[in-house]
Amino acid sequence: MRSEQESFEIVDRALDAARATGAVEADAVFDSTDQNISRFANSNLHQNMSEVGAELTLRVIVDDAMGVASTTVFDADEIARTAALAREAARHSDALQNFTGLYRDHEPLPDVCTFDDATAAIAPADKARALRQMFDRGRTSGVEFAGAYGTGATSVAVANTHGVRRYCTLTASDATVIAIGANGSGYATTIDRKNVDVVALGEEATFKATLRADTIEDIEPGAYDVILEPPATAEVVDWMNLITLSGSAYDDGSSFFVGNIGKQILGTNFTLADDALDLDFLPFPFDLEGLPKRRVALIENGIIRTPAVDKTYADRLGFPPTATCWNLGGTEHGSAFHLSIDGGESTREELIRSTKRGIWVTRFNYVNGLLEPKTALMTGTTRDGTFLIRDGEVVARLPNLRWTQSIVEAFSRIEGLTRERRRVATWYNPFGGTIAPVMKIAGWNFTGKQESLAV
Amino acid sequence: MEVAAASNIASTQRVVLSDVEPHVATWSSTYEIDPWSIPLEKKIEHLLQSTEPMRGDARIHQVLGDISCYRQEKIFASTAGSYIEQTTTEMGGGVEAVAIEGSEFQRRTYPNPFGGDFQAAGWEFIERLDLPRKALDVRDEALALLTAPKAPAGRFDLIIGSAQLALQVHESCGHPTELDRAMGLEISLAGGSFLQPSMLGNFRYGSEHVNIVGDATIPGSIGSFGFDDDGVPAQRFHLIENGMFVGYLTGRDTAPAIGRKSNGTVRAQTAARIPIIRMTNINLEPGPTPLADIVADTKHGIFVETNKSWSIDDLRLNFQFGCEVAYEIENGRLGRLLRNPLYTGNTPEFWRSCDAVADRASWQVWGLPNCGKGDPMQTMRVAHGAPAARFRGVEMA
Repeated sequence: MRSEQESFEIVDRALDAARATGAVEADAVFDSTDQNISRFANSNLHQNMSEVGAELTLRVIVDDAMGVASTTVFDADEIARTAALAREAARHSDALQNFTGLYRDHEPLPDVCTFDDATAAIAPADKARALRQMFDRGRTSGVEFAGAYGTGATSVAVANTHGVRRYCTLTASDATVIAIGANGSGYATTIDRKNVDVVALGEEATFKATLRADTIEDIEPGAYDVILEPPATAEVVDWMNLITLSGSAYDDGSSFFVGNIGKQILGTNFTLADDALDLDFLPFPFDLEGLPKRRVALIENGIIRTPAVDKTYADRLGFPPTATCWNLGGTEHGSAFHLSIDGGESTREELIRSTKRGIWVTRFNYVNGLLEPKTALMTGTTRDGTFLIRDGEVVARLPNLRWTQSIVEAFSRIEGLTRERRRVATWYNPFGGTIAPVMKIAGWNFTGKQESLAV
Repeated sequence: MEVAAASNIASTQRVVLSDVEPHVATWSSTYEIDPWSIPLEKKIEHLLQSTEPMRGDARIHQVLGDISCYRQEKIFASTAGSYIEQTTTEMGGGVEAVAIEGSEFQRRTYPNPFGGDFQAAGWEFIERLDLPRKALDVRDEALALLTAPKAPAGRFDLIIGSAQLALQVHESCGHPTELDRAMGLEISLAGGSFLQPSMLGNFRYGSEHVNIVGDATIPGSIGSFGFDDDGVPAQRFHLIENGMFVGYLTGRDTAPAIGRKSNGTVRAQTAARIPIIRMTNINLEPGPTPLADIVADTKHGIFVETNKSWSIDDLRLNFQFGCEVAYEIENGRLGRLLRNPLYTGNTPEFWRSCDAVADRASWQVWGLPNCGKGDPMQTMRVAHGAPAARFRGVEMA
């Protein structure tokens, strides 16, 4: 993590270098992260790493054409070389369609708290002691743990040749914990700006690993009502970022948003927003083009509102800017990095009690959304806690199941949402994640299962 | 030192490293034409020549071309006495057409999606790909897929082309033979492995036609190197021999758990990350039969090629793959084009159903520059040699 002064010295050097190449406009992002990740398996801390990293990305605009280059070396010569590379890339690029220039409105930023001193100060030994406590508790419950526990502090500086200057520091802590018992596994995860309670996550995972451990049933493939925990839903909406929500998915025609803006396509009880201002989520004040973050409804009560676009694709596609650029010059041209699904009025227990015959899913594994993007047809499997619900009771553990399901159809059949929502981290997203309620969906299509091994 | 000391607080198992000889060496991949000697203008001109032929039909919504060059310079030094310098130069390229008509969306690529194919080579690789000529086939097939019938569901004899079979090897053999995964060390992210150490040498993974090797020595492949990031020399060894599970990919810190020495497969994405077991070139060895003879020998089946979607469970057992194209096979001849084929199965059942592996004429090494593993995520460049092969009674969804 670098100070504001040090960060802007590097960014300003980059903008000066861009001007020296003849760039009409330019913007630059300098980010720096100090992180420690502790990986554990078999209740043993087996990989423990700390990393200090920093990167400068410079974008130049010449004759309305864009070029981008990045570097991890910040002396004058390397920055000049980076600027020349960006300038060269712009020289060989076509003009951006309908481009109105880089952001220049200087709007005030929302006042959100993004940094926790205590989290930034956590030492690897502090984390190891928490893990040791979790391992010891697991032994008394007959489970072993696997997972990862990370903490980090990041600084981000953004500036452009129109005088826009943004700086922010943020902390993040996230953990995934799998408890492995004799007859099954359980899972718990969360992310926060403050240090997460890994021991509490261990207790939650242990509950799932030992629930109905002595009652294992099997089911045939078919359509079942499902109750999806937030990590399962998060993996699905993460894929929607790629195939549905991004500016490039809209532009290449693969998104089901195309032709449906303003139309009721999903259930009226489904609202998906990009929301970095929710103080219970993972607040952040601006995107990497310097636009102030605001809550943007992407899907509102089932009505398609807007893709998540960067400024260049807002201009190209004719949408208002959504402040969702997280990669200058990236091919996705906008990503919703603070995915927020509105909750409902139910509790988890009420959703389970209302289910005659259904499946309670803790998380998904290896989801893929490239099958038929126009209907967001996806496949994946369940893992770490899949349970059979019969007559409103959780009665048995199930094997891991494969599903193949159109998410457009699924999100049209939501029968209940909890008030409580949970934050889930995303590995590629250092700024945010997903916050989602528990969802009950009718008729989820299960197409196979993890068979016992035939020797 | 602070991190290592902290590890001791919550570590219950001592780290044991297998022996390694010290090496002082240099290694480089080879190329004929340095990618960086080609001006940007020429690269862009080549891409325009490759993509322009695909335009012109209103149903072609988007055309894309990719050319990428990559160079990594790496120094490894250890207290064992090794000092190893390695340089890898790689090129990748491909084209893609997106066709849309009504609600139908089809993407067709050559030679592979996600940037094409990749080799440890220079500009000569791009010339060999012949993108401008192949682009016409890509366009025509993308358009034809818009109106092609949906691939049927049911059980079929399936012939899988080289590019798709390479990814099948990646997901259902490469990953489950990573010893760290089998030991549970990667379980939190992408899961474990059904291939447990007790099964070494006595588990029938596939039919007798199935031979799969790990080989980091293949010239021109992005899965090759001189030494891994433990300083262990590149090696070739069997993972599956005549259908039997006989080996794992190992590193110095994992091999002792099965009483073996490292076979040299750990790599790190950058110097800041921990080296972990990564695939090298994980290859299905070619068989004796020409592909044409396998097709001619198939009465009623389906041929699939080029990956579109991939998913496999947390033990690498239940998988589902989608492909860009499929063709009917009737009475030994390729027939109608089919869209959106999906096939699914259980890894050992699937490989045991393999009754014909095509010969070296259909065998090709495919570079995959984006294999993900670890936490923090480490993206690694790996490759797979694969011919076409036939599998009996595979479930199509």
